[in-house]
Amino acid sequence: MSQIEHHQTGVTYWRSLEQAEQAPEVRSLIEQEFPSYDPSGMLNGKSSRRKLLKVMGASMALAGLTLTGCRRWPKEKLAPYTTSTENHVPGEREYYATALELGGVAQGLLVTSFGGRPIKVEGNPSHPMAWSVKGKQGSSDAFAQASLLNMYDPERSREVVDRTGAEPKESDWTKFTAIAGDIFGKVKGTGGRIAVLSEATSSPSAMDMKKRFLAAFPQAKWHEYEALSRDNELEGSRMAFGKSLRTRLNLEKAKVVISLDEDVLFSHPARTRYAADWAEMRRKGDKGEMNRVYIAESTFSVTGTVADVRLPVNPARLENIARAIALQVEVANVSGGEDLDKNNGEDRFVHSAVADLLKSKGASVVIVGQSASPVVHALAHAINAKIGAIGTTVTLIEDPAGDRPTHLAAITELTKAINEKKVDALLILGGNPVYDAPADLDFGKALASVPASIHLSHYNDETSRACKWHLPRAHYLEAWGDAKAWDGSVGLCQPLIEPLFGGKTPIEVLALVSGDAVAAGAVMAGAVMGGEQIVRRTWKEQYIKGGDFEKEYRKTMEAGVLENSASPAVTAANTATSYPATPAPAAGFFVRFTLDSHAYDGRFANNAWLQETHDPITKLVWDNAAILSKKDADTLGVKQGDIIRIDGNGRGLEIAAFVQPGQPVGVVTLPLGYGRTEAGSIGNKLGFNTYHLRTTAGMYSISGAKVSKTSNPNYTLATTMEHHILDDFAMKNALDKRIGAKGETGMIVRESTLEQYNKDPRAPHKKQHGGGHSLQLFNHPSKFNTPNAWGMTVDLNTCIGCNACVVACQAENNVPVVGKEQVLYHREMGWLRIDRYFKADTATYEKAGDDPNPQVVHQPMMCVHCENAPCEQVCPVAATMHDTEGLNTMIYNRCIGTRYCSNNCPYKVRRFNYFDWQSKAPTTGWPDPYVNFPDKQQLDQIDKIKAMVFNPDVSVRMRGVMEKCTYCTQRLAAAKITHRNEAFKEGKPQGGGELLTDGSVITACQQACPTQAITFGNLNDPNAQVVRLQKNPRAYDVLGELNTMPRTKFLAKLRNPAEGASAPARGHASSPAPSTMSPSPSSSNGSTVPTPSVG
Amino acid sequence: MSITHHEPLVLPYHNGDLDNTSDDPRQRMPLILGGKSFNDITEAVSSIAERPTTQGWKIAFAISLSLLGLLGFTLYKLIFTGVGVWGNNQPASWAFDIINFVFWVGIGHAGTLISAILFLFRQNWRTSINRFAEAMTIFAVICAAMFPGVHVGRPWLAYWLFPLPNQMQMWPQFRSPLLWDVFAVGTYATVSLLFWYVGMIPDLATLRDRSKTKVGQMAYGIFSLGWTGSCRHWHRYERAYLLLSALATPLVLSVHSVVSFDFATAQLPGWHTTIFPPYFVAGAVFGGFAMVLALAIPARQFFGLRDVITLRHIENMCKVMLATGLIVGYGYSCEFFTAWYSGQHYERFVFLNRALGPYQWAFGIMMFCNVLSPQILWSKKMRKNLWVVMFVALSVTVGMWFERFVIIVTSLTRDFLPSSWWVYKPTYIDICMLAGSFGLFFTLFLLFCRYLPVVAMAEVKSIMPQAHIHPERHDELSGDEGRSDYRPDERHRPKGNGDGHARH
Repeated sequence: MSQIEHHQTGVTYWRSLEQAEQAPEVRSLIEQEFPSYDPSGMLNGKSSRRKLLKVMGASMALAGLTLTGCRRWPKEKLAPYTTSTENHVPGEREYYATALELGGVAQGLLVTSFGGRPIKVEGNPSHPMAWSVKGKQGSSDAFAQASLLNMYDPERSREVVDRTGAEPKESDWTKFTAIAGDIFGKVKGTGGRIAVLSEATSSPSAMDMKKRFLAAFPQAKWHEYEALSRDNELEGSRMAFGKSLRTRLNLEKAKVVISLDEDVLFSHPARTRYAADWAEMRRKGDKGEMNRVYIAESTFSVTGTVADVRLPVNPARLENIARAIALQVEVANVSGGEDLDKNNGEDRFVHSAVADLLKSKGASVVIVGQSASPVVHALAHAINAKIGAIGTTVTLIEDPAGDRPTHLAAITELTKAINEKKVDALLILGGNPVYDAPADLDFGKALASVPASIHLSHYNDETSRACKWHLPRAHYLEAWGDAKAWDGSVGLCQPLIEPLFGGKTPIEVLALVSGDAVAAGAVMAGAVMGGEQIVRRTWKEQYIKGGDFEKEYRKTMEAGVLENSASPAVTAANTATSYPATPAPAAGFFVRFTLDSHAYDGRFANNAWLQETHDPITKLVWDNAAILSKKDADTLGVKQGDIIRIDGNGRGLEIAAFVQPGQPVGVVTLPLGYGRTEAGSIGNKLGFNTYHLRTTAGMYSISGAKVSKTSNPNYTLATTMEHHILDDFAMKNALDKRIGAKGETGMIVRESTLEQYNKDPRAPHKKQHGGGHSLQLFNHPSKFNTPNAWGMTVDLNTCIGCNACVVACQAENNVPVVGKEQVLYHREMGWLRIDRYFKADTATYEKAGDDPNPQVVHQPMMCVHCENAPCEQVCPVAATMHDTEGLNTMIYNRCIGTRYCSNNCPYKVRRFNYFDWQSKAPTTGWPDPYVNFPDKQQLDQIDKIKAMVFNPDVSVRMRGVMEKCTYCTQRLAAAKITHRNEAFKEGKPQGGGELLTDGSVITACQQACPTQAITFGNLNDPNAQVVRLQKNPRAYDVLGELNTMPRTKFLAKLRNPAEGASAPARGHASSPAPSTMSPSPSSSNGSTVPTPSVG
Repeated sequence: MSITHHEPLVLPYHNGDLDNTSDDPRQRMPLILGGKSFNDITEAVSSIAERPTTQGWKIAFAISLSLLGLLGFTLYKLIFTGVGVWGNNQPASWAFDIINFVFWVGIGHAGTLISAILFLFRQNWRTSINRFAEAMTIFAVICAAMFPGVHVGRPWLAYWLFPLPNQMQMWPQFRSPLLWDVFAVGTYATVSLLFWYVGMIPDLATLRDRSKTKVGQMAYGIFSLGWTGSCRHWHRYERAYLLLSALATPLVLSVHSVVSFDFATAQLPGWHTTIFPPYFVAGAVFGGFAMVLALAIPARQFFGLRDVITLRHIENMCKVMLATGLIVGYGYSCEFFTAWYSGQHYERFVFLNRALGPYQWAFGIMMFCNVLSPQILWSKKMRKNLWVVMFVALSVTVGMWFERFVIIVTSLTRDFLPSSWWVYKPTYIDICMLAGSFGLFFTLFLLFCRYLPVVAMAEVKSIMPQAHIHPERHDELSGDEGRSDYRPDERHRPKGNGDGHARH
């Protein structure tokens, strides 16, 4: 004590007399130097020697040793957060409902906002077309998940561009408005013609603005064009009912689904809800009954991968099959359909499909894809009426824009008008017709001749560059609007952020050019307020007529969708009297155009998340390719990556080939959306522009094409999974054992038929040991000392491989993209991947003459959180450890990157940052050496706009560290904090224990999954769904024989093959020889056509 | 019982070398030829370090130095860009980095075996080769230690592998074989360095005494630690050397056993086998002797040491190589048998894939180089043909590199889930770094050859007939130095000072 007190009485030191006198100047100097210290305390010598030494030591450590004292920090401007948003608590997440419109159909979304920026997109649980569990989980698709990245794309256009002069020059909205007034005024005055080319839209406000615009400019003509539309369906409905009706399927009631080239689970605008409904029926497998899906398709689709009976057919045969089914269910006025091909199994397909249809009358449905001709759609309507589907599995509703001409007719008419010099001013609202209009129209050339052309677009794209004016468009997360979902439910879209680059929406631009009295001023005044004015006016006029508008409007805004606004069912009599036959196709190859799983129709080309998301079937990334059957490839002498030439419709295209098992012979599939030239640095020069072959003569397929091999050098295609078409004997043996041969169960992927499963629930596992090893050195490790023990199940039976979870995980966990060259090195970073395995009859595959019709299994694979984790034992620096709740955690700060954990992980789910992916552009292969303090690299390198997309709760990993699925540990932490806070509020001081019940935590993948194939929860909660599912007889541990004791269990797949056609699910011993549906190779008398697969 | 010879020994010539490889038990073959005196040995060895730099050395050094520069360039790329400059990928997280590490660690083993185990077993022929075999060990361990240091994703944090007290209170994770590696290789490097250096002290003193330059006198003077050659010094020296060899002996077995644990304790099929420790040790000795031969054969030519490193030395090394090669061959076949016998699908597949999969060429190279090519050494005629021996030595060096390639790459690229299967391809950086590690090795080795005594003079002298005067028998050229019970201890040590340093 005496020592401490000594300074009070001891000698006082001073530096100058002023100091000793405590001159005010000295005081102020000291205050400046040590703002947090009390100057009088410092001057009075109240600080002890001990404290002085402490301060000196600390200063030295900070300033001297760590060099921080020598560092010059960059100057930053701080904006005080003075005006707070309503209900906003800094650091808390907020959720706003909005909608994404794709091809004129809205998807209800709930977007997470953090600190004023949207960071995650989810499905809107209140929306009838997004499946929900207990009002917490809204599912979505990969496009919606990835649309967030487009918002933060620094390459989005940032200003109005004026290309009227020789050189394009920057302009602004004010100048544009003035000039637009001139242009439109002049055209109006001289009686010239104005044309508007719009994307398909279901927005009531857009419709309203269209009406107002047309009123302002009576001579204007409105055209609507989408590269991918469902116009054949519209035409088919007109043929059947005499008016445009939309089909709203109720797949949750359909025991039998016959799909004719319809990828209902992946390409349909209502895919999210339809997949959920399909899965609902699929899950009933555990109760002994399950739906059965038949599909006859001209290219391998996602629906095809999960169908029970799949028939790969030439698109020309579809009509015949439809006619045959119609004939057999006795639809009136049908002719043809007799000559079914017996060789490729068409007759057997139709026969068993019809038998099932008739057996389940009222619980069956025939659906037809967008590429099928209108006649097939009309036939399907007739069949559905005949089998009692209308009103049960099918609801007919009014099409919101049913009175329009088809998109093909619209764009043709517009081009014709331009070429006839009838268009004096053209306003293009969104879309990219120069790139995606039918090639023979040569829209780009026509557009150049329009005296005044204006393009509103997210990017300065191909069309923008061909127009006189380019206007930056607001992203949907920056915009006010409204839109209708497939079922007609109308919802509101609200912005989560002010437009980053000053973009405007189509309705705002319409208000500007038409001088809308309510909106135009607001559009110019405020960045986003103008759109709101328009939407409010529309809603006041159309939807919320009586009552308290503000209250109702706000309620709708919160929910995102107007309650009970789905279009009512209409009844319509089938008035078709004949079904005219489509002329027989010319001999030669069929070319089939499809949407691309990465780029959609090309609009997501600059989205790196989507580019690097593996295609559900080909597993291609960063490219498209011509998909060929094995047999055609062999005939042409083509291998994967060879450049082939396709001639059709008088046009030619050179494109890389991709050999795909299960592709019908004689059909080449061309995904659209690649070969962009003005997409941005990500999307440019990727893949091949297949629009080049797409003409008005065949928007979905062309017949009589010629395919030949060229001598061009090979093109390297990057896939995330090799096809492994039987490299050698050892591999074949391995695949048969692990995945199972066709119709058999395997070690890793287990499956069974419904019939066998009903007889014996252990059927999928028969060859395997019972679970785990019962003898353990230690107690069962899942008994940890906290109330929570996290676990997951993945249901292979309902997984469709749609990639929604993959992109959701990427967005949630700041997972980087690596670029094509790095994918070729197999360094992609996805924490969650979907392993896709083919099960083909390998014996037939080796014979060049036969093409197998493989079965497919999708197996989502991410860290399974082993209780006995092999990765943890081998890390020398303890960077991967187990926590008390059973998570296999990864401590990035501690990781030095020996990569031993990855070697020892039997699931190979760990991902290593070979480079600083986040600061490296995915288009560059190897980054240049980066000379800086390596730990600082990210700070300096990541684009500030790109960095806004990061989830603030998840570390952005630097190079040299390992990462992997964490079971969304940030969501777990958030849920625990909430839970504890609530318990405190209720007066339970210890947080009432932390037992979190179902629904309190939903992982990102689980949330996105439309089929609820992923279930996550607390294994210690006896009522949790995950506990129930882990006890399901189908549940198994992948690689459980290694005694890793994974927390994630998989549920075996069930297939429901047609009766009388049941292929053995479990090997050769237990079941009869393959029967009628799948002739064995020896009995197929040299048949060269595929046979339907029996699932 | 001792055998004496009364006829003078006349050795036949073989390709210009005196052939002292006869195994006739009645004829003890001398290990040092040419009727050398102690001074001749000193001259022969010291002159290498003393004569002006030769043109040949300069050329060799320039090549090595440029390869070392290449290593520098690749390290710069690696550290400043990321480990991704290598071809490592998702299933094959380890490739050239760890292959090279295991390869170089393995090379080192022959040196320790020769200096420690053969010393304890009184194999006198070791004296001619042990010095540079030990030098090779040190340099190989330096090359080896570099790889784990830079193969980590964040090399600037590689020191976290050491149990250093720190403010985070974090210790390494002791269950990880990588940590065992740190200790095993660290101990090995330390003991080997000490052993090498302690053994060199008398020779350094010789060089000091002979040195005519100030720098040489200073440098050799510092490192010879004031050696005077007094009996006390010799006594301490002999004890220390004996103790160090006893310390180093278990390391011959432990280091590569521990390195093999990197693989054996993992659960990856193709790695997870109990045979790895013995088979790795045998492989290391096998590869190490190959490297010693590959260095010794040219060195004896260039440095005029053909009488010191004789055909008998080479033949003995060939025999060791043949024996360890057979163990390695047994290891290979045993792995296949075990895989088949286990009945375990993954295990069986990995070996089928190893032999028939995409890397069958590497497997073929390994089998040819490591199993087939040493079989030629069954023939004594071939063991005496230096071209053949050189070919086998190089072939085994290549083969042992490929052994590690086969073990690491084939097992990793096709493990459990077929979805992750991928092919590993090295990049130019991988290949340049391998070449660069040879540059590092040879730069050090050439410096060693140029400035240090490449042969353990003092020890060689101790096995020469002159060192073995039996006052009671006077049979100076009896060849008793070849006897296994011969001990060059104090009793036999001549008291006269022949030359340079105090001892002889």
